[in-house]
Amino acid sequence: MLLDLVNSNTVQVVAGSDMNWKQAIRLAAEPLINNKTIENEYVNEMLKVVESEGPYINIGPNIALAHSRPAGNVHKIGLSILKTDTSINLVSDKHPINLWFVLAATDNNSHLSVIQELMEILTDESAVKAMLRAADKTEILNIIAHKLELQK
Amino acid sequence: MKFLAVCQSGLGSSFMVQMNIQSILKDENVKEDIQVDHSDVGSVGADSADYFFVESTLQSALGSIPESKVILLKSLINKQEVRDHVNRILDQEEIEHE
Repeated sequence: MLLDLVNSNTVQVVAGSDMNWKQAIRLAAEPLINNKTIENEYVNEMLKVVESEGPYINIGPNIALAHSRPAGNVHKIGLSILKTDTSINLVSDKHPINLWFVLAATDNNSHLSVIQELMEILTDESAVKAMLRAADKTEILNIIAHKLELQK
Repeated sequence: MKFLAVCQSGLGSSFMVQMNIQSILKDENVKEDIQVDHSDVGSVGADSADYFFVESTLQSALGSIPESKVILLKSLINKQEVRDHVNRILDQEEIEHE
């Protein structure tokens, strides 16, 4: 399921040295706008919720999972990944981020398998370390594919 | 007994924590029926569950719930952190586990 969503169109690796967290989330979400998974409005919502509620999307060291509640602006389940070579502070310097995930869900439960597979990857410290070191998107895709293959 | 993972939207990070808790309960071979679910901060009250798991920066959003019922997590993907909390609760509640 995760591998149906994550591919060379939805994974990006950039330097990120001239970006702030909002630009990073916007860039991370761009592939999902392009493939008609989400509307731009959903991206605005994701940014707004961090502005009002704080950096709670910082789910683990150097990792952010941007998401919001869908309100007619999500057409299907989606996941995109941006890796910035430079860490970018999410709201404050207590929350430096290099791996930006954007999750789009259509309701509370239908994305269960995506979350499950994402957790398999993110709870594996060596896989996360490898993703943080990845030089390009092919490397990230290989890490994910390899990890999910092992689970089968 | 019910554990509830809570986040702002109720569908991303809380879902992850729910899965982590469930897999830990399985690892720990807990026989007792413990319900685990996820929800958004807006729809939870003190009666929604026995224990609430939340990312630590969202603490203030659960202000109406007694502190002893709220578990603050620094990392949502650090299984050991979640495991330590779950085991502490199981011991406290005298629920058998490995």
